[in-house]
Amino acid sequence: MTTRRQLLKTTACGFGSLALAAMCQNQAAGQPLFLRPGHVPARAKRVIFLFMAGGISQVDSFDYKPRLAKENGNKRSFDDARSVAKTGKGAEQRVMQSLWEFRQRGQSGQWASELFPHLAGLMDELCVVKGMHTEGVAHGPATLFLHTGTTNFIRPSMGSWISYGLGTENDNLPSFVSISPSLSNGGPRNYSTAFLPPVFQGTPLGRTGQPAAEATIRNLNNQLLSSGDKNRQFGLLRGLHQEQLHRVAGGGHQEAVEAVINSYELAWRLQANAPDVLDLAGESAATQSLYGIGQKPTDNFGRQCLMARRLAESGVRYIQVNYTDNSNNPAWDQHGNMPQHKNHAMAVDQPVAGLLQDLKQRGLLEDTLVWFGSEFGRTPYAQDNGTGRDHNPLGFTQWLAGAGVKAGFSYGETDEFGHLAIAGKIHMHDLHATILHLLGLDHERLTFRHAGRDFRLTDVHGHVVKEILT
Amino acid sequence: MLIAGSVPGEASPGLEHFEDKVRPLLVEHCYECHSAGHKIKGGLRLDHRAGWETGGDSGPALTPGDPAASLLLRAISYEDRDLKMPPKQKLSAGQTAILRDWIAAGAPDPREEVPGDPAPARIPARDTSAAALWSFQPLAVPTEETRRPQVKDTAWPRDAVDHHILAELEQAGFTAVPDAPPEALVRRLFFDLTGLPPSAEEVTAFNPEACGPLVDRLLASEAFAERWGQHWLDITRFAESSGGGRTLPFKDAWRFRDYVIESMHREVPLDQMIREHLAGDLLPAPTTADRTRQLTATAFLALGPTNYEEQDKGVLRMDIIDEQLETMGRSFMGLTLGCARCHDHKFDPVTTKDYYALAGILRSTQTLRDYTSNVAHWVDLPLPPGPALEEALQQKDRQLASLQTELQQITALIKKQQPMSGSLTAGKPAAAADLPGLVLDDSAARIVGDWKPSTTYRNYIGQGYLHDKEAEKGTCTATFIPSIPETGRYDVRVAYTPAPGRATNVPVHILHADGEEDLSIDQSVPPPLDGRFVSLGTFRFEKDGAGFILISNEGTNGIVTLDAIQLLSGKDRASAPEGRAAEVPADLEAPARQKELRAEIKSVQNKPPFRPETMGVQEDAEPADCPVHIRGSIRNLGPIVPRGFIQAAMIPGLPAIPAGQSGRLQLAQWMTHPQHPLTARVMVNRIWMHLFGEGLVRSVDNFGASGETPTHRLLLDHLAHDFIQDGWSLKKLVRRLVLTRTYQLASIPSPGTPSWSAQQAADPDNRLLWRAHRRRLDANALRDAILTVSGQLDRRFLGPNVQAGTVDPNSTEAQTLEYSYVFTDLRRSVYSPAFRNRRLEFFEHFDFADINGPIGQRTRGTIVPQALYFLNHPFIIGQSQAAARRLPGAPERERLDWLWRSILGRPPTDAERRQAVDYLTPPTSGPAPTTEEARWAQLVQTLFATTDFRFLD
Repeated sequence: MTTRRQLLKTTACGFGSLALAAMCQNQAAGQPLFLRPGHVPARAKRVIFLFMAGGISQVDSFDYKPRLAKENGNKRSFDDARSVAKTGKGAEQRVMQSLWEFRQRGQSGQWASELFPHLAGLMDELCVVKGMHTEGVAHGPATLFLHTGTTNFIRPSMGSWISYGLGTENDNLPSFVSISPSLSNGGPRNYSTAFLPPVFQGTPLGRTGQPAAEATIRNLNNQLLSSGDKNRQFGLLRGLHQEQLHRVAGGGHQEAVEAVINSYELAWRLQANAPDVLDLAGESAATQSLYGIGQKPTDNFGRQCLMARRLAESGVRYIQVNYTDNSNNPAWDQHGNMPQHKNHAMAVDQPVAGLLQDLKQRGLLEDTLVWFGSEFGRTPYAQDNGTGRDHNPLGFTQWLAGAGVKAGFSYGETDEFGHLAIAGKIHMHDLHATILHLLGLDHERLTFRHAGRDFRLTDVHGHVVKEILT
Repeated sequence: MLIAGSVPGEASPGLEHFEDKVRPLLVEHCYECHSAGHKIKGGLRLDHRAGWETGGDSGPALTPGDPAASLLLRAISYEDRDLKMPPKQKLSAGQTAILRDWIAAGAPDPREEVPGDPAPARIPARDTSAAALWSFQPLAVPTEETRRPQVKDTAWPRDAVDHHILAELEQAGFTAVPDAPPEALVRRLFFDLTGLPPSAEEVTAFNPEACGPLVDRLLASEAFAERWGQHWLDITRFAESSGGGRTLPFKDAWRFRDYVIESMHREVPLDQMIREHLAGDLLPAPTTADRTRQLTATAFLALGPTNYEEQDKGVLRMDIIDEQLETMGRSFMGLTLGCARCHDHKFDPVTTKDYYALAGILRSTQTLRDYTSNVAHWVDLPLPPGPALEEALQQKDRQLASLQTELQQITALIKKQQPMSGSLTAGKPAAAADLPGLVLDDSAARIVGDWKPSTTYRNYIGQGYLHDKEAEKGTCTATFIPSIPETGRYDVRVAYTPAPGRATNVPVHILHADGEEDLSIDQSVPPPLDGRFVSLGTFRFEKDGAGFILISNEGTNGIVTLDAIQLLSGKDRASAPEGRAAEVPADLEAPARQKELRAEIKSVQNKPPFRPETMGVQEDAEPADCPVHIRGSIRNLGPIVPRGFIQAAMIPGLPAIPAGQSGRLQLAQWMTHPQHPLTARVMVNRIWMHLFGEGLVRSVDNFGASGETPTHRLLLDHLAHDFIQDGWSLKKLVRRLVLTRTYQLASIPSPGTPSWSAQQAADPDNRLLWRAHRRRLDANALRDAILTVSGQLDRRFLGPNVQAGTVDPNSTEAQTLEYSYVFTDLRRSVYSPAFRNRRLEFFEHFDFADINGPIGQRTRGTIVPQALYFLNHPFIIGQSQAAARRLPGAPERERLDWLWRSILGRPPTDAERRQAVDYLTPPTSGPAPTTEEARWAQLVQTLFATTDFRFLD
């Protein structure tokens, strides 16, 4: 029987000679999915990214700004990002107070509104970064920036970079998975490899709009065949492959052929293993209810989160859980109706809190980094003087929890309206650099030579935010 | 007391200020990015005097004595949105004052010495001159002596190409391997030329001695044009939607695809195609057909993965130009021009000036309709329709015109029947003063309770309207107290914004001169008068008398809104132009007919024929040179660069770019000039790569210093030279190459090829071309081959595959087309809908998902989803069943031969045959055996899954 190491090695070498050459230049081992050490000591083994598409309002959730209530309804001039992008000038806007009441929570005394009641109870676990800022005023550019570090160029996604940097921990599952991804706002580009070798591509599990209960890896089963017939057919394939391998023997083509043959062996094992990992039926009723599974508003996202935990346990390195839809104005995009935020919060609050608690009680939070956030935040003033808020890439909040980040901690701040990040600013490039750092990767050394140039996730930017690390 | 600064060696107050305050501040807040030992951002150093005197990319950092003119002060003041330093946090007012005072005092700075060198550049400095790069040298022209390099084995070569290859082999002590067996060669020729497999019969009938006629037949086939059209579509990053953020369908992109395939079929010279791509709209067009194809060709410049919703349209404009330059640079010249957007190219002789010289040409070209729309849109160019279509279109226009006339008449009639309360358009805000009569806006009412201002529905009067948030029923009232100008009867009207969910029982209380009325309004339905007002009846009001209209939310069953009231006297109604016609008798059928007509017009508009248009570009109204964008920023402009080309590849005698033109025509002439060092070489190398598996330059998209050098440089030059001489003819070159001995070599050893393993060890990458490369079939060839074997391939030549109507970029329908598209067609893969966010699943797994940039060579990944697809996907299973049904009615042995020849292009080996026979024999034990037909289908599926199907010997 071949060892995993041998297997991965032969699989790896199944690339065309150009791709292989490119990889060998970039990696000492030349083995794409072979587990390999990073550049710096790793604090986290894996990441669960909870993507809240559309833009959560920071001033209604975690960034408490009492001044908004005092000035509610007042007109003031703001450097509105959309207006600046379009006209080069700011614009007069009507201040709108938070729709949800804020209180200090837990031992840490971190502020949280009642928008996320369950998460508010876990503020002592969270590392809240309130000085986020990013590129892109519209969803498409900003979402691509969040995932690929650029608003418009074709670049690999973060999960692909991480797979490329670290390889896989699991023989039988993909190393990068995106649960229920959307087709909109970049669609597949948000989990694709661009110019990195295809093996680092994210594997979609289901798609947005499809119930999470049905989310699975595509083509996992041939329902027309009994298991006995499947075995027979696979036996025939193995036999023909032995013969074909023999036919080309000595020609210098073995590696390419063996790579294909091994991809079938891996597929065969994946067919056997993946359904178990993705099947939530074996989870206790207590665990299911912790995630809100079985209750209407939380069932779907609860399943996605529980699936994420099971994948994390099984050694998947980068797991993205998507709360989104296929529209141009996805989920949290409340331009006209801020109260809608509550419906979305009700769908994700308990599942995310359940995930954190579950990871903690299983000891997984020690080496799992949980990351929660949107492509940008929202304005502290009403859009067109209405009842909603517009996009705000200039200052917003995300949070991290778990491996390597300070718990019960806040970092960075926006101005007194919650509009512009002014202190402890973290650009999206900085956050990328920091997450890579936690995984043991130096964002300046994680490069890939393409079209004559070394590319990085962070381009020529990015600083590791040491202040939030333990 | 000493006078300041008068004693040498003693710090002056200015210097004291520097040492005490300024230096620590610079060290703490600026050195991280602007001093030795760190990265030098923007080229600016602040760790010595000359550093800020010279300044960085944007010029000197300070003007001593003049803080206001100093870039440094502007940066730290955070007033310039694009230049805020330090980037992470603004300095305090005190810190800013320190630096301002220092500059005002003349910026005394004792730091004369230049501290140690900055951190060594990651990339050592290189010679980036054209002289140092092989690909910028003129083509070597073949002479009698050099055309056929001398070889010992003179019987071996068939073509000059073979002389070049053999000469190198002999010099290295290599021998060429034997020729490929006939069945390998025929499969190779079919796939390379047409992208389709030979049939079992064609495999059997193939005669390697008569290759020429077969090659000619394949070259003339439509399948050749489709196959090589796909190669061309790959390098022109052809797609049928924009992808990226808000994907928009390119409704006319198929015309570009047809243009490419047709050009291949009709043997349009490749240099002409490039000229048409870049400047088709500017080339002379003798016929309407020429005009159509040339305009269509310019879609090349518009087909990129543009993020049309980018909000900064200045950025969008330069991003599009960058994409155009990067694509044409890579596809036609093998250069990575994009690097020079921000700095001179680090490896190649391309400067930032060159980049902006080219950018000026494209900036003088219109690629977007406008630069203001929220979601931008490409340019649709009308195409000449031709007489038959023109007649049909005019017929449609006449039909529409007649419907529209009737609609206008009926609308006017309905308008007359409805006394209007104002002449302003419904659905838009109106000012109270613009409406006739006495109008009281909600802002003039006495408000009690928690009404909430809103502007969500736009047909309000004044600044907006109020709504009661559907809460606190019975606590909100609004009282309007009109000041009556003249005693008389007034029509009382109430304005509200209707919506489903609004209350249907809003109470209105009217106090008038003759008493009181309690009435009710249904706000869930649109107000009947002009979409704004509902009339409550006519009541008498007295000048200076008591009177009011009170609206409340008491006992209401939904949201109550409140906008305005209007009191119209008889005089007001007469003066309103529409009011006079109030006596026109009501035609009860008119509204129904109006609705019908609107639907009919829409339906006719959405049905073919459509006026044909193509996406493309045109000359900008005001062509202009472009300034250098420092570090690629649109807000930090440097010197203006005259429009032009890459200086290191200038060709003497080319016409200059006239001031009134963009320069695209000249760009096209420059790029396809016989003396251009890159274009012909790059093109010949691409064609070679498609036939041999690897290019003579293996980095097919990169002919720069960071790319590979040619394995056979002289051969490449000679081929490029001959290619130009032959009029840039694709078919002539392909014919020549596939008939060479080199092309026809074996790729796997036959028994008794002793030299194989030694040569394999010495040259594992086959750089000497001592054997043929064994290649993978790409996604298109695999899918088309499966459909050929199953007999299901739809061979319709040319034409659209997706019908996308006119695109409203702000409508979600644009995305729905792509996101919910069901891929059902069985046409050749080249016609498969080329959406950027959503591909045929087969393409996703087999390295054809990413069509965002030029694809010089398909990636060749081996990934598990490929195996899962072959094992389990309904497409494979269904096609296998269809293929099994096509098996000839013959004995098992012949059927197996047919199957192997159809799928693998060869008969089965003995061992394969034994296994197949075994499989077809039902098992004697176990569960109920499958049917014979099912077993044959499973055998077909298994053959599709084997490696031999995926590779080309």
